[in-house]
Amino acid sequence: MHEIDLLLNGARTLIDQPMALLLALIGVALGIVIGALPGLTATMGVAILLPFTFGMDPLSGLLMISGVFFGGIYGGSIPAILLKIPGTPAAAATAIDGYELTKQGKAGIALGTATLSSFLGGLLSVIVLIFMARILAGFALEFSASESFALAVFGLTIIASISGASPIKGLIAGFAGLLLATVGLDPMGGFPRFTAGYTELFTVPFIPVMIGLFAAAEAFKSMEEPEVRGALKTALGRIIPPWSAFRGVIVTILRSSGLGILIGIIPGAGADIAAYVAYNETKRFSKAPQNFGKGELSAVAACESGANGCTGGALLTMLTLGIPGDAVTAVMLGALTLQGLQPGPLLFQDHADLVFTLFAGMIFCYVAMLFMGFASLRFMGRILQMPKSVLTPVILALCIVGTYAINNSMFDIGIMLAAGVVGYFMQKWDFPASPVVLALIMGPMAEASLRRALSLSNGSYDFLYTRPITVVLLSAAALSLLVPLLRGLRKSGGGTAEPPLNATPGRGH
Amino acid sequence: MSAYRFVTRVCAGALVSAGLWAGAAQAAEYPTKQIELIVPYAAGGGTDLVARAFADAANRHLPKAIGVVNKTGGGGAVGLSEIMAARPDGYKIGMGTVEITMLPHLGVARFSVGDFTPIARLNAEPAAITVNADSPIKTIDEFLANAKANPGTVRVGNSGTGAIWHLAAEALGEQTGIKFNHIPYDGANPAVTALLGGHIEAVGVSPAEVFSQVAAGKLRILAVMADERSKTFPDVPTLKEKGIDVSIATWRGIVVPKRTPEPIVAALREASRDAANEQSFKDQLAKMNLTHAYADGPEFKAVMEKDDAFFKTLMTQVGLAK
Repeated sequence: MHEIDLLLNGARTLIDQPMALLLALIGVALGIVIGALPGLTATMGVAILLPFTFGMDPLSGLLMISGVFFGGIYGGSIPAILLKIPGTPAAAATAIDGYELTKQGKAGIALGTATLSSFLGGLLSVIVLIFMARILAGFALEFSASESFALAVFGLTIIASISGASPIKGLIAGFAGLLLATVGLDPMGGFPRFTAGYTELFTVPFIPVMIGLFAAAEAFKSMEEPEVRGALKTALGRIIPPWSAFRGVIVTILRSSGLGILIGIIPGAGADIAAYVAYNETKRFSKAPQNFGKGELSAVAACESGANGCTGGALLTMLTLGIPGDAVTAVMLGALTLQGLQPGPLLFQDHADLVFTLFAGMIFCYVAMLFMGFASLRFMGRILQMPKSVLTPVILALCIVGTYAINNSMFDIGIMLAAGVVGYFMQKWDFPASPVVLALIMGPMAEASLRRALSLSNGSYDFLYTRPITVVLLSAAALSLLVPLLRGLRKSGGGTAEPPLNATPGRGH
Repeated sequence: MSAYRFVTRVCAGALVSAGLWAGAAQAAEYPTKQIELIVPYAAGGGTDLVARAFADAANRHLPKAIGVVNKTGGGGAVGLSEIMAARPDGYKIGMGTVEITMLPHLGVARFSVGDFTPIARLNAEPAAITVNADSPIKTIDEFLANAKANPGTVRVGNSGTGAIWHLAAEALGEQTGIKFNHIPYDGANPAVTALLGGHIEAVGVSPAEVFSQVAAGKLRILAVMADERSKTFPDVPTLKEKGIDVSIATWRGIVVPKRTPEPIVAALREASRDAANEQSFKDQLAKMNLTHAYADGPEFKAVMEKDDAFFKTLMTQVGLAK
């Protein structure tokens, strides 16, 4: 194995560079904080840090950026689990079951599982990146508009599985999200739709809406509770999950990491989509799908390993083809170029030593993230002991600061607060918020991809059945919609057929 | 009564002259506090990186620092509107882009080209026609002949409808009478990805955006839409050489609101010239494969006005203008 030699060489070079290792550690720590704060995402963290790395040597600069990237994806899960405030869009999926676990007093195990799953997902993705980069690189290029459309349709069917108690309310929320997603510039024509003359609405302010629906709504809700002086009535509990619990999620982590890696490779699809798809597939393969949404540990594991699995996948496309797999790697592409490393087919030939040293450093980043995560969880868990009279204003202040930080825009704060009020009433009337977020991610992707695909084929719909990946994804979408429906029909069909059989002659037996 | 009026006039006159004097003094001492440089695009993108490299270089020539602030949204309209509406005191300046001359005609902007006073152009990138290296088409003549023979079937990717690379391809179509199938993508990168995957026949983006793929032998540039050949790709012909008068470039430069006082504009022009000629700034651009294209205020103004007229005509012809 040629790669193993290169990697060992890389590790040896890395050990001689304590400064690079230190900067990587700082990057991971910064990333976790950035990810944990609502509004500040991994993309933003990388973009802000980028100018500071200009003066560093390529290895230090790129490792620090990778650290922020990895830490930022993981960090979002901490407030999602503790407070139901997703720090990043991907963590919105983690919040569904993570916060339920916190309410049951299992916050520690949920956080521990999230940390371990993020680590394993990320590590696996880096390993795939090291050994299978060339083999998988072509997969990204197979993805055209029609495949993206099929992926988005498949993603939209996930609404059914994250709707919680009432599928009807979930669908209503999902369709409301789809309607919201039509606001903005028309993806093909370029003219504004439903923007009321506000240039700020040219793109749907997705993150402000998410922060409002989750975090601000939660803060408004806690204002109406009378016991403001009391803390959340839950303890952190143990952090490292017991082997008996962890054994049950290993398969989930492996499957979700794999899905995360593949979704990461696809251009234009990132950690948020990976987390939702991983959640959906875990529920599909679960022996107890009814537990999802009520505090299922494997759901947390799935979302986190899926989201972090994305990191290696996105890096793979960026490094081997020079095309970014998601928003974060788009910024990293600039970082590499500025360091004089031209990402693309020639990178592995011209700079193999540096690339493999970087890979060794990425593994180091993930190991560091595991230890830092576990070390900080006790401290983070203190949040649960904070009285609500302190916590609620702090959360609202963070929502506002975080929202402003995205675009330096007061307009976004208004959107966030409005979404918070809507989210408050949605909670009161049991409408789930995650379908809205999912629809806002998938809706624009589905619309733009379908219309682009039609434009590519000169208006012919043939791409729906002539392209293999499209067919597979659309069939999967149809299945995930039809199977629960058929199951429900069989159940209700059986339900009406059985009682008469047992009722009349059965009495005698 | 008249005494009262006299007093009022004296007071008013004193205030006005004091204001003027204060304005002059302010300009003489400019800058006395930090300058904000508004970038209408996201941190980490090309425009942002040019702005940050410029700010670094300019800080060596100004007594106070320049801080970069990203105001994104509306395809640049949000940030550019903010620059236009800023107090014209030189403490909020902007990174203007070619979109200043395009967005007003799309009917999505509150500003027009006359709302800005140009300080200095820093960078310019021409449009280019690039195809996949596997394509049987080797020259721009073959490309155009093939597109002419098969109207509406040659798919040309761009960075969004109404964006610069879309208009470049439209201009080529208008000049040669060829009908292309324009496919908008969400930025230049996804369009290049689609070209690599063989899902489209060509892209109209700049040579900088396909540099690494061309260097690796995956893509081939057929022609650049510039007056002169590219220094990075000297073998690639210009459209002008082929007798097609299409020359389209994106540009980035420093602009201020139109009513900014002349002394402040002069101070900024001088500082920008020194910053743009710093070797560190030139190196930074070269690393990003970007072309250093410094032009002083008046020259930059001429470019802006020429582009404004050109895009107005073109967008009306292709039905994009509102």
